[in-house]
Amino acid sequence: MTLERNILLALGVLAALLPFAVTDQYVLHLAVMAIFYAILANSLNLVVGYVGEFSLGHTAFLGTGAYTAALLSVNAGWPMWAAVPAAGVVAALFGLAIGAITLRLQGPYFVIVTLSFAEVLRIVANNWIGLTNGPMGLAGVGQGGIADKTVFLAIVLGLAAVTFYLSYRFVYSNAGRAAVAVRENRYVAQSIGVNPFGTAMQAFVLGAFLAGLAGGFYAFYISFVGPEVFRFSFMATIIIMVLMGGKGTLLGPVVGAVIVTLLEEYLRELQELRLSLFGLIVMAIVLFLPNGLMGFVARRREQRGDAPSLSPAIEERTV
Amino acid sequence: MSAITMDAPDAVAGRTEPVLRVRDLHVSYGSTAALHGISLDVHAGETVALIGANGAGKSTTLRAISGLLKARSGSIAWNGKPIANRPPEEIVAAGIAHCPEERHVWSGMTVEENIALGAYLCRSKEEVRTRMGMAFHRFPRLRERARQMAGTLSGGEQQMLAIARALMSEPRLLMLDEPSLGLSPRMADEVFDVVRAINAHGVTVLLVEQNIHNALAVASRAYVVKTGRIAAARPAAELRGDPELLKAYLGG
Repeated sequence: MTLERNILLALGVLAALLPFAVTDQYVLHLAVMAIFYAILANSLNLVVGYVGEFSLGHTAFLGTGAYTAALLSVNAGWPMWAAVPAAGVVAALFGLAIGAITLRLQGPYFVIVTLSFAEVLRIVANNWIGLTNGPMGLAGVGQGGIADKTVFLAIVLGLAAVTFYLSYRFVYSNAGRAAVAVRENRYVAQSIGVNPFGTAMQAFVLGAFLAGLAGGFYAFYISFVGPEVFRFSFMATIIIMVLMGGKGTLLGPVVGAVIVTLLEEYLRELQELRLSLFGLIVMAIVLFLPNGLMGFVARRREQRGDAPSLSPAIEERTV
Repeated sequence: MSAITMDAPDAVAGRTEPVLRVRDLHVSYGSTAALHGISLDVHAGETVALIGANGAGKSTTLRAISGLLKARSGSIAWNGKPIANRPPEEIVAAGIAHCPEERHVWSGMTVEENIALGAYLCRSKEEVRTRMGMAFHRFPRLRERARQMAGTLSGGEQQMLAIARALMSEPRLLMLDEPSLGLSPRMADEVFDVVRAINAHGVTVLLVEQNIHNALAVASRAYVVKTGRIAAARPAAELRGDPELLKAYLGG
């Protein structure tokens, strides 16, 4: 866990130093998107990796956050620093309501009901023209504000810092361990006094909050929000990131987000073939690396040396 | 072992109030009834065994007591307070620990983490540390393996770990479901030694076992469970000394 934290910190420092090395706006844009996706993938991972239930409706929270920030900015003139946290809070409230229903379900039922919540929200966004401007979407979010990509990079890094701090605290708290205990064996977890619904709810609401923050940032960064934030293809991208990087680890979704963001960019010329390629990649991962890249790395480390006896010494040195 | 003769159900019932009193407990899985009215008493300091064939309803009884399964009807009283259909975390907090069958440990966590999680409901870190010290004192082999993944332990060690974890909630009643399942005879003996030691420290034990000889060796009383009903309640010694009687009850 110390190693994971240190690598995350190192990655953060690296990203913070990027503007000093690169001035190319395109590269900075890629960095912003990669970090944005890392936040998103991490928030989904709290549900998929730690609760152990497969949510296909995570875009519900991304979209709620994006629309909240956009509406507050366009209609009420809220600045970014106020609208983005508000987006997180509104998404968390949605998480509370949706979680109260869906977390009573397990397996395929959970998958389908979360998916339908996202679909319902997409349809609402598409048709409630008075509020959301329908398919036209809300344009001009944060108009006349920040234009410099470096500033956006700083902001998204700040959000990532908040995200990973909260996730780290959660994962290594009692509630986080309890969530893993439930994921591994529900009955045994209950037998020691864990309330599966309660711990799952904590992870779910935290995930919703973080996805809402990401959505709020997205609205300001792209300065436009339309119903497509609820679309399934968005969801598919996030899932691929989590699965590729390794669910149930903090580092995995970050690795997945960086790889997929870059792949998406560089495979752009291939158009339709791109999605087929992604499909193949997902199949390969499920077949050969069921625990993702980080799971693979962890297993290799375990195989190579007797990590348990080494780890105390390593921990002492790195702290 | 002198208590055995005195622990005949009737004698005990007249002497003290039972800590655990189950009356006419009915449990079903969906529409299939599994328990058709189980009644049993457990007194403070006893070791009581539930014996019976596969699928008789022994594990179901334990799960209903610990709140993992809903009781359709009937009552469960713990120190006089009704606990039937309360959420499991409340029942753990009240002092009943359930060590489920097949010794499930969290194999991806270390031995230490497994044990620490057993005190999940305990909010004081200091207290958790004290209890862990006691657990390691009781199970020195687990201390040696504290940083090892629980999945790398042998079957017997995993069973010890599961028991140690259940004891971390400092229960007054420990319910063990098939602690010797799949263990070598020597390992099983060791597990039962541990059960005896725990009982000697004042923890009441309710034990489900398929290995009847082991169960009767450690228990003072036994209930014979047959197709969701209590077929007999006898002092363990009486059953142990009368194979014919056992055969009649167990249909073996």
